[in-house]
Amino acid sequence: MTTGALLFLIAAWTFVLGLTFWSFWRILRGKRHFDPDGIGPASPPEVGKFDEYGRPLRRG
Amino acid sequence: MSTQDQSHEVWGSRIGLILAMAGNAVGLGNFLRFPGQAAANGGGSFMIPYFISFILLGIPLMWIEWGIGRNGGRYRKGHIPGMFAAIWKHPLAKYLGVIGLVIPLVVLSYYTILMSWTLAFTWFSLTGDYWGRTTQEAMSEYLRSYQVIGDAAVHDYWVPFGFYFLALGSTIWVLSKGISGGIEKLAKIGMPILFLFAIILVVRVFTLGPGVNGVSPVEGYQFIYNPDLSRIGDAKVWLAAAGQIFFTLSVGMGTLQTYASYLSKKDDIALSGIATASTNEAVEVVLGGSIAIPAAVAFFGVAGAMQVAQSGSFNVGFVSMPIVFQGMPFGQMFGAMWFALLFFAGITSSVAMATPIVAFFREEFGMRREPVAWTVGAVAFAFGILSIFWFQYGFIWEWDYWAGTFGLAVMAFLEVVIFMWVFKPENAWRSIHQGADIRIPGVFKFIMTYITPVFLAIILGWWAVTEALPFLRLEGGVGAGGPIAPGTEIYVHISRLLLVAIMVFFVVMVRLAWKRNRYDDRLGFVEVEEPLEDTPGRALATERS
Repeated sequence: MTTGALLFLIAAWTFVLGLTFWSFWRILRGKRHFDPDGIGPASPPEVGKFDEYGRPLRRG
Repeated sequence: MSTQDQSHEVWGSRIGLILAMAGNAVGLGNFLRFPGQAAANGGGSFMIPYFISFILLGIPLMWIEWGIGRNGGRYRKGHIPGMFAAIWKHPLAKYLGVIGLVIPLVVLSYYTILMSWTLAFTWFSLTGDYWGRTTQEAMSEYLRSYQVIGDAAVHDYWVPFGFYFLALGSTIWVLSKGISGGIEKLAKIGMPILFLFAIILVVRVFTLGPGVNGVSPVEGYQFIYNPDLSRIGDAKVWLAAAGQIFFTLSVGMGTLQTYASYLSKKDDIALSGIATASTNEAVEVVLGGSIAIPAAVAFFGVAGAMQVAQSGSFNVGFVSMPIVFQGMPFGQMFGAMWFALLFFAGITSSVAMATPIVAFFREEFGMRREPVAWTVGAVAFAFGILSIFWFQYGFIWEWDYWAGTFGLAVMAFLEVVIFMWVFKPENAWRSIHQGADIRIPGVFKFIMTYITPVFLAIILGWWAVTEALPFLRLEGGVGAGGPIAPGTEIYVHISRLLLVAIMVFFVVMVRLAWKRNRYDDRLGFVEVEEPLEDTPGRALATERS
């Protein structure tokens, strides 16, 4: 394989793979927020608590 | 329940949406057309105009189509006539959009035939049906017997119909399950399988070692990337590269817009659009360029591989590759993987093709998804049967050229003009940035407004003069079909007549829809209010949280 062909291969692969990894990295690292449109709860919903028989525990 | 409520669809997750969009774009061309085009157009020199076209044409069109689609979704319009009318308040807009219904239906009818070949050859590989046919001539005869009805030298008469029925049936079945329950699930299963099979095949090809000609598969890269810089100034190379970018991203089809119409204005399209385009490019350049041509170089030598590349995409996939698989251990398994990979690439594209038509009848006539999907399937089947019967007369290539090649460029040009010029660049730019996770560099506003339409106009003009007009006058053959045989012109006329009939049908249906729903072309549509829960794209916002 000639140096010219190798350089073109490296440049092409770097460009497409770089763009793909960058875009998915940006998507996956997106900030987790719980109020995307200003109308939702300010904090994540709490996980329910249950007694030994699986019945939900009353708060307070 | 109102028409609009019945047409309610949502994406379940952002990754599902991107995989479905990428699945729509990744098709047979990524693995069959790209390597041949690169090799035949100067190798490394082809890659320069290819990437320039990707930046000036591919990425801008991707954002424009997502933008048009999501804007249409604001009025619950998942079809091009409605999307154009939502932007351009003129009676002509909806009729220009009819092209966005004709193209997907026509392409669906013949694309599923090509897909059925991949399904059939998956089976033939598993059963070793073509084993023993180790020359180009013998494999060509095998393929021809499958393609041409009446030539029962190898295959029974019913075999192509059976596989076509299965391929189209599976497409429509997925479609009938809806966006989240069908298309998204298929993408989440099909795309990882496609990636897995492609990676396994790449590894297998590069562990083959030097073939009978003493040439290593690595020399295949030399074949694709060798920089023949003398061809960089050749207009044909630039047009071939622009054409490849155009086809590989599935722009101009009307399908990306329908998928995007199920997003809300709070959802990002800027980053998702580039993720979709780059995923398609990674599959094409890295995986698509690393299987067929390197394998052909190892088995047939450099001169033989050049012949293979120039013999057309289908010969690469269905004639040369089966010969390669016969020469390797566990060839039946790898052959089945190759054709299954093509099948998944095909079905994730074919399901997208029917969605604009289903959206049109659901949104405008209040029909239910399943009956519409199966009716579209029945119509496509009827057209497909004609294509199978008249394959040897070039019927399929006539549709492939006018709808699947020239029509795409016309459609893309229309949508760039309507979105960037009629809607105005500022509105288009703002629309694309609504809910965006990234800020697109400002230079793209200039590119999308001026460069992309001029680029498209040049491509259209060139194709019109060098191909469309001669084809129209029956001078030479159309597309991959070769010259028209004397005495078979009648089939060309029938195929063109059918295309016109389909267009007239959709013009009438659009007219009826506008009358039925009392739309006023000058006032536009009423924006659909987004309920707090159950909003298209709401699921994405929820998932991000």
